[in-house]
Amino acid sequence: MKKFHMIIDLEKCVGCFNCMLACKDEHVGNKWLPYTEEQQKHEDKWICPTMTERGEAPYTEVTYVTRLCQHCDNAPCAKKYPDVFVKRSDGVMLIDYRKAKNKDLVDACPYGMVSWNEELGCAQKCTGCSHLIDDGWKEPRCVQTCPLRALQTVYCEDNEWDKIVEKQGLKPITDGSNKPRVMYKNLYFYNKCFVKGALCFDQDGIEEAAIDAKVELLVGGICVAQTQSDFLGEFYIDRIPKNSGKMQIRATYGEFEPIIADFEIKTKSVVLDALKFGGGSGKPAVILPNEHANEQALTHMIPKDAEAARKAFADKK
Amino acid sequence: MTTLSQETLEKSLKIFNKTIVGGTLFTLDKLLNVLGGLSPKFKQELKEHNITVQLRLRDNSYGRWFTFQDGVVSGRDGINKDCIVEMIFDDEASARRVTALIRSQFDFVNAAKQGQIVLNGPDAEAMWFSSLLLKVFAFDVLYLGNYGTKMPNGEMRYVTGTNGGPLFVYVKDDKIIRVTPIDFDNEDADMWTIEARGQKLTPPKRTTVAPYAQGWKQMVYSPNRCLYPMKRVDFDPDGDRHYENRGVSGYERISWDEALDIVSKEMVRVRRTYGPGSIFASTGSHHNWGSIGYYLSCAKRFFNCIGATMCMHNPDSWEGWAWGGQHHFGGSARNGGTEPYGTVEDCLKNSEFIVFWSSDPESTSGNYAGQEGTIRREWINKLGIPVVHIDPYQNATAAFVRGRWICPRPATDSALGIAIANVWMHEGLYDKEYVEQRTYGFEKWEEYVLGKTDGIDKTPEWQEDITGVPARTVRALARYWGTHKTYLACGSMTSFGSAGRAAFGTEWARVCVCLIAMQGLGKPGVNFGTLQYGTPLDTKFWFPGYADGGFSGDFMTSGAGVALYNRMPQTPSINSEYQAIPRLLLPEAIMGQEVTWHQLGVYSVHSQFMQLHYPAPGHERVRMYYKYGGSHMGTQPDSKRYAKQYRNDSLEFVVNQSVWFEGEARFADIILPACTNFERWDIGEFASCGGYIDKSYLQNNSRVIFVQHKCIEPLGESKADFDIFQEIANRLGLWQVYSEGNTEYDWAKRYYEATDMKRVMSWNQFIKKGYYVVPPCSEGRRDPVAFRWYAEGRKKDTPELTPLPSEYYGRYGESLQTPSGKLEFECQTLKRFDPNDEERLPICTYIHSWEGVGSEPYAKYRLQLISPHSKYSFHTMGDLKDTCINDIQEHRMLIDGHRYWIFRMNTKDAEERGLKQGDIVEVYNDRGKVLCGLETTERVPQGICHSYESCADYVTLENDPGGDDTTEIMGCINNLTPGRFITKHAHGLSVNSCLVEVRKWEGGKVG
Repeated sequence: MKKFHMIIDLEKCVGCFNCMLACKDEHVGNKWLPYTEEQQKHEDKWICPTMTERGEAPYTEVTYVTRLCQHCDNAPCAKKYPDVFVKRSDGVMLIDYRKAKNKDLVDACPYGMVSWNEELGCAQKCTGCSHLIDDGWKEPRCVQTCPLRALQTVYCEDNEWDKIVEKQGLKPITDGSNKPRVMYKNLYFYNKCFVKGALCFDQDGIEEAAIDAKVELLVGGICVAQTQSDFLGEFYIDRIPKNSGKMQIRATYGEFEPIIADFEIKTKSVVLDALKFGGGSGKPAVILPNEHANEQALTHMIPKDAEAARKAFADKK
Repeated sequence: MTTLSQETLEKSLKIFNKTIVGGTLFTLDKLLNVLGGLSPKFKQELKEHNITVQLRLRDNSYGRWFTFQDGVVSGRDGINKDCIVEMIFDDEASARRVTALIRSQFDFVNAAKQGQIVLNGPDAEAMWFSSLLLKVFAFDVLYLGNYGTKMPNGEMRYVTGTNGGPLFVYVKDDKIIRVTPIDFDNEDADMWTIEARGQKLTPPKRTTVAPYAQGWKQMVYSPNRCLYPMKRVDFDPDGDRHYENRGVSGYERISWDEALDIVSKEMVRVRRTYGPGSIFASTGSHHNWGSIGYYLSCAKRFFNCIGATMCMHNPDSWEGWAWGGQHHFGGSARNGGTEPYGTVEDCLKNSEFIVFWSSDPESTSGNYAGQEGTIRREWINKLGIPVVHIDPYQNATAAFVRGRWICPRPATDSALGIAIANVWMHEGLYDKEYVEQRTYGFEKWEEYVLGKTDGIDKTPEWQEDITGVPARTVRALARYWGTHKTYLACGSMTSFGSAGRAAFGTEWARVCVCLIAMQGLGKPGVNFGTLQYGTPLDTKFWFPGYADGGFSGDFMTSGAGVALYNRMPQTPSINSEYQAIPRLLLPEAIMGQEVTWHQLGVYSVHSQFMQLHYPAPGHERVRMYYKYGGSHMGTQPDSKRYAKQYRNDSLEFVVNQSVWFEGEARFADIILPACTNFERWDIGEFASCGGYIDKSYLQNNSRVIFVQHKCIEPLGESKADFDIFQEIANRLGLWQVYSEGNTEYDWAKRYYEATDMKRVMSWNQFIKKGYYVVPPCSEGRRDPVAFRWYAEGRKKDTPELTPLPSEYYGRYGESLQTPSGKLEFECQTLKRFDPNDEERLPICTYIHSWEGVGSEPYAKYRLQLISPHSKYSFHTMGDLKDTCINDIQEHRMLIDGHRYWIFRMNTKDAEERGLKQGDIVEVYNDRGKVLCGLETTERVPQGICHSYESCADYVTLENDPGGDDTTEIMGCINNLTPGRFITKHAHGLSVNSCLVEVRKWEGGKVG
């Protein structure tokens, strides 16, 4: 039988939150019994993206991780409350709304995707829009409104699904032991680290970007990944597991002595800004204002504004 | 063959016509009674008046009169001189044309215009009777609800438009169940395909929506809706008006009659007492959608009928382009915008590099275009085109497309651009042939850039201390750009961008034009474009946009003159008062100052040099304010002023016609509750603006033209804006003048009949299905690429009527809209206007902000704040109103029960101030204080912070709106921004030159 599965691709998510809004649109003010009671208007989101950042400005990567009920086949919630959490034959997990009056139900989900409706006094969660699917809709609301189908439902036999998981390299958001029916693509944007940085060198007293330099990531002296610096002299190596420990960047450029930069990956991404061939370090990618900048500013100000600025700074001193 | 004499022919025709008229009128009473039996609602309307009505020919040769008594109609042949209402037809022929059940609206309008039909009697009764006749023609739609698509489960599926994309609206029992984007069906046209670099690229067959469209159902059912006419409790129109309490005291419910009587009496009193100009009207920013019942249609028609001082809007998305960029290359009809045609295909096929500069279409949906452009920007990575994003904030587009991010300090972009040009000049990395043949005045600019005039060679090193971007990055960027075919993506479509809304933002837009000119604008792969605007859709299919004037009849100040007026006959309408007030100086003007400004004109580049004054000669200062649509407070700078202006006696009367109780609605004496466009009829097209953004539907993956069904009855006692204006017009004897006796539905149908829609789908089909997808062009029929004609020295071949013929200084259509006809590095328009204007010289220069690093306020305030257009609301539309949009944790932040507007600052800056994620912070400067929720982020570098403009409300903690030392609690960030113009001779805002400081809020729980 064709069963419910979902793919969430982090690379395709634009952070529009349409999924959350469509879920609210469908379920706030509408009750779809026997599938579910109305959703609470505010908070208690059955699906919601969360923005996460890696790195630091201007080497920042932003991604959204969307969470919803994972419709697990080995569901901790159903194990603990087998009469409340009921699996449909298509794999969708539902809550029996008549039996969901216990606030402890919320804690039964390790993903935090069972919410408590304060107004109705019952536990609720995503139904996979089963009321619509049973009525002939092809997709749940969150998927139908997703601009790039970063959320995608796949209704297929479980063995077909296993092939899709393997072919597309889908990953569960945790360890997978709960056998979730929701799997993620490009999850490394969320759970892996990167190293980014800039390479430069001095030529005739001018700092130049080192373009197309060879950049290697060394672990224990062995190259595990390789790239080139780009048109701005910047490089980017991603998908480094957290807590990988000490490693090195080796950058090679023309006649220069290769740069070896040591760093450690704990839980955060690393920025090496900026490495200079021939020794020393390059200018940082963001140069903070200093007195020199103030002087520069005055040179280019309309005279009357410049005069006022001079006076303000003089007053301050 | 028998030949009838002319006389005999005319005579027979006369008898024929008379017979038909007689027949129709003979059946009229019976018909009305039958319809009354079919629809209780219609029966109710029949009962509204107990009167007698005479229909007759002018010469009394035929007549029939009707008695309406308790909803029953009876008719009798003959003339009854005592009838209350009288409808007179000039002759048999006109009577026949008008009374035939299947008749042409065109004939009806013409007959009315020519005096061939006359309607006499008291307004209310005459109008009632006339509209009754019109309703007969639309009976099945208006009374039997014969429109929309019935779903198998009993729900009805309707269609409407929003400024975030069209929606399917599912309704059951007069309640909206859900709203969704539109998935096209098998009957709808297939999508286009672009072949680029060996790949076939086709967008999916559906529409997309922006979050503020997906959240619309809750905006309809918002608890903040104005549902009943309201009067401020301490406002007594015949006694003390307590001006000082505007924005402070509460409201009480009154009847529609009472409200409309007060408003119409005040209108007469104010104009009689003070004369022309004394009524002021202002519309808001995009709270609705539709070609008929929206601000450039019904509101324009209404205010033209009244005669009003209008609020002149600054171009608050274009700014730098309107006041700067267009002097280099024209485009006045688009406020300095560029041609969009064919750029999506050209970019995907030919460009080798894309520079996004102050460009965030992912946040602003381009403009009105849902998430249509998103997939095209996904293709950037699919094709492997390198990109760089230049913006102080790592905006949503940069976050999604990825690539490299360069973050200059706000308002320093032109220094960065000039340094790029400097590298190109030193290293010869530009198209010398193009510059020589297709441009004018390059040497003048080159002298400046290389420092020959001021001794400063404007190298990448020069800009380093100004922008904060390392010289090596700028040099590397310049070299890559100078050696690769590059698309320059500015703003959300083209020619917008928050960098243009900063001190001397003109210079950023100008440098962008100069840079692209140096690389050969219009050559394959070299153009302006964000992949947002310029899809290969059919521009020949004619369906005008909302800014083309609707039924305004105003062919001067809407797009109607070019687009619509000649196709949809309507009585002309002109505002006889030429006094205006510039939006940015509105508070000063209202509070007694005389103001002078330059007004942006669209007809020519030089029209923006015209100086205007308020008060205008022969006009009176404004005494009454009629506010319609969204609030200015969230969107305009130094917004405390817009509260202050209400709280004194300079405005004797304020009426606010609003859907929601928020923002400026809080300051009204009378509130007229308007309904949303889900509760009324209209017609429109996805993302189609027309007028000042010609063919803006080219942002979409498909042209979707839709009828906007009346999905539900208006909530509470709210009414369509159209109908509110109608009722006031009725009280002033203007009912026919305002609407030509037509309802909103009638106008929507007339609009349809005027357009190419009529050729492809019947009205009945259209209102059943609700939308039509215009088939895209096959490859051979696609529009030529923007400016390709110019690059190749040909006659203009892009599909637009602008510039106006007189804007060509040589042969028509063979040049750009500049005096030389070429891309001008030295702008002759500016040179002629004021060659010594140090704030806007004939060449593009870098001018440091009066409010940036090293400026006077920098001594006290060290953080540079930018406040671009918002992502989760369209200006104020979508924010607050107690909807789930506020649950988006990137839109507002819930702390202690209050949803704070989000203020973003760099993690290190926050740490230095002892602040952390989720803190309530007070953002302040000399202009004001605003409470926000703090988001610490690496999406801004140190020294820069970010918070969107356009909070929908304005509430002070001290309940003293406009007060000097007040704290705003809803997040109206424009309380902090400067009111100074971007350059002195421009009516443009400079909100992104704003210095602030931030501290933790210690004032306890608010809200």
